[in-house]
Amino acid sequence: MSTAHAATAGHVQTTTATGIPNGKLGMWVFLASEVMFFTGLIGAYIVLRMGNPAWPGSDGHLSVPLGTANTFILLCSSATVVLALGADQEGAIANVRGWLLMTILLGLAFLGIKIGVEYASKIEHHIFPSTNVFWSCYYTLTGFHGLHVLAGVIFNLWVLATTFNGSAWPDQHRRLEFAGLYWHFVDIVWLFLFPLLYLF
Amino acid sequence: MTHPASGTRTYLAIWVWLAGLMLLSVVLAQLAISKTAIVLIVLGLSTIKALLVALYYMHLKIDRRLLTFIALVPFIIVLFALGVLCSSRFVRL
Repeated sequence: MSTAHAATAGHVQTTTATGIPNGKLGMWVFLASEVMFFTGLIGAYIVLRMGNPAWPGSDGHLSVPLGTANTFILLCSSATVVLALGADQEGAIANVRGWLLMTILLGLAFLGIKIGVEYASKIEHHIFPSTNVFWSCYYTLTGFHGLHVLAGVIFNLWVLATTFNGSAWPDQHRRLEFAGLYWHFVDIVWLFLFPLLYLF
Repeated sequence: MTHPASGTRTYLAIWVWLAGLMLLSVVLAQLAISKTAIVLIVLGLSTIKALLVALYYMHLKIDRRLLTFIALVPFIIVLFALGVLCSSRFVRL
C-alpha cells in the first residue's frame, strides 16, 4: 500500500491506496474481530439460558440502579472522548487533555462501581463464578468487558501522555482517534450486556 | 480525520438521545407486559443506541464506505450464527 505524507496545519496528513490511514483501517479490522469475540461469549450465554428451563437468574443480587449508573457513565465517556477528538481538530490541545482526562476518570468510575461495589457485594454474599451457571456467565461477560475497559483506560492514558510531547503530537495525534474508536466499541458492548444481565 | 459535519452540538444531541433511550429501556423492562415483547423492544433500543454511537461518534455516517463494510462483516456472521443458534433443537424458544 503506497503512502505519502504532507504536513498541514501542524498535523501530518497520510494518504493511502484505500484513502484510509493504515492505523485506522487496522483498528476497524481489530474491532471486527472483537465483535466476534464477544459474540462467542454472548452466544454461549444465550444457549445456556434458553436451554435451561430452571434458569437461576440473579435472584435479586444485581442492582438495576447501579447497572444503569454504569451505563450512563460509559455513555458520558463516549461523549467526552469524541469531544476530545473535536477539540483536536480545532487545535485546542488543552481541551483535548481535559476531555481525555474526563474519559479516563469516567472509565475508572465504571471499574470502581463494577469491582469495588458490585463484585465486592457479590463476594461478601459468597456469590462466586462457581455458584451457578448465571453467575459463571455474569463474571465471564462482565470480567472480559471490564478488562477491555481497563485496556481502554490505559490506551487513553498513553494518548494523554503523548499530548504533552509537543514535537511528537502532530505526528501521533491519530492515536486519539484510534483510542476513541476502541472506547466507543467498549461502550457498544456494554449497551447489550446491561439489558441481557440486569433487565431480563 | 477531519469531520467538520460532526460538531459539538451533534455530539451532545446524540448523548441526550443515548441517555433518553437508556432510561426508556430501564422503564420498559419494569413493565408488566410479555417478557418476549420486552426482550425484543429493549434489544431493539440497544441496537438503535449502538447504531447512533457507530454512525455519529465513530463517524461511519461520513467516513469511507469501506469502513462500514468492515464493520458490517462480523454482524452478518453474527446474524448467521444467531439463526443457527435459535433454530437449534437444544434451544427452547
